[in-house]
Amino acid sequence: MSNHEHERALELIMRRGSEELAVRDLEWLNTHLATCSECAAYAEDFDQTGHLLRAVAVTASPSLVSRTQQRVHARALYLEEQRSRQVLIAISFLLGVLSSATSGWLWWKFGGWIAAHLGLSQALVEPGILVFLVLPAVLIAGLMMTFPNPLLEERFLAALASEREGGDR
Amino acid sequence: MIATAFSLLVPMETEEAQIARGLRRRDPDLLDALIEQYQHRLLRYLLHLTGNHAVAEDLFQEVWVRVLEKGHLYDGRNRFVTWLMSIAHNVAIDYLRKRNPASLDEMQDPEDGAPFEPPASGPSPFEQVAQRQQQERFDEALQNVPALFREVLVLRFQEQMKLEEIAKLIHIPVATVKTRLYRGVQALRPLLEGGAR
Repeated sequence: MSNHEHERALELIMRRGSEELAVRDLEWLNTHLATCSECAAYAEDFDQTGHLLRAVAVTASPSLVSRTQQRVHARALYLEEQRSRQVLIAISFLLGVLSSATSGWLWWKFGGWIAAHLGLSQALVEPGILVFLVLPAVLIAGLMMTFPNPLLEERFLAALASEREGGDR
Repeated sequence: MIATAFSLLVPMETEEAQIARGLRRRDPDLLDALIEQYQHRLLRYLLHLTGNHAVAEDLFQEVWVRVLEKGHLYDGRNRFVTWLMSIAHNVAIDYLRKRNPASLDEMQDPEDGAPFEPPASGPSPFEQVAQRQQQERFDEALQNVPALFREVLVLRFQEQMKLEEIAKLIHIPVATVKTRLYRGVQALRPLLEGGAR
């Protein structure tokens, strides 16, 4: 008997029970097992292992399920608040940019007027005004995105603490 | 008749597709229902993988938090249970890496090695005791099987997964699944020869 046949038998043993096997394959396997004691012994061990493993009863306690549900809810709340905060930041940022853009023209004129009266170079004043307009909004938005809001953190920690208290009871 | 024709043209949404849609919305009712539906299977998998009840319960919670966070990645094309178990597998691996980067086998705790309840069945008290003893020996032997093999045994026999599903879940080739399954059964052979026959 070739190695290929043993390998085929082992694969069919492993697949039998969890997959639909062709009748032809099953018949071939039964014939092989009838003549190969090594594969037959493995098939028996395999079935016995499955039988014993399936007999193991493990159940999750209701308190574990309840604690998990509370924790998932607290996390969902936190994620929702974080998402809302990011939306608000994005809206604020956009409003800031729009406001700056609409008033930019006036600032530009003002810059030209300053440059003319103080005798400064136009090439220096105009980029300076642009940076002056945009930089604060970018910096604030960046800081708010980087550092989480302490008030939201406190609420999340309080929700976790109440969840633990609920689980201990 | 029109309704029938319409239902033939528009396929019904599968359960997996409904779950995927609910997870994208982070629907709390759906998550509660999923936790209840898969509680025993998930805990059993984690328990077999870690061999420690307390750790398995911690990881159980962590898995569901991760399901919430990564829910938008589930596309509903595969069975939900396969995706859930792959999350559980990753959570267990992360836990192991934090605790001990050397080996998955280190997850088992010999002091807490037999946390399973034997099944309450058998026609006579004598047979019940014999079954209980055999089951206890099996649980003990199972905890001595390397976790890599144990995981594949659990997925194949308890979750009734196909070899391809197991391979996809734990990101290994099908040939490796077969090798681990073979060696897992071989590792339990002394017990099977001594007790069960």
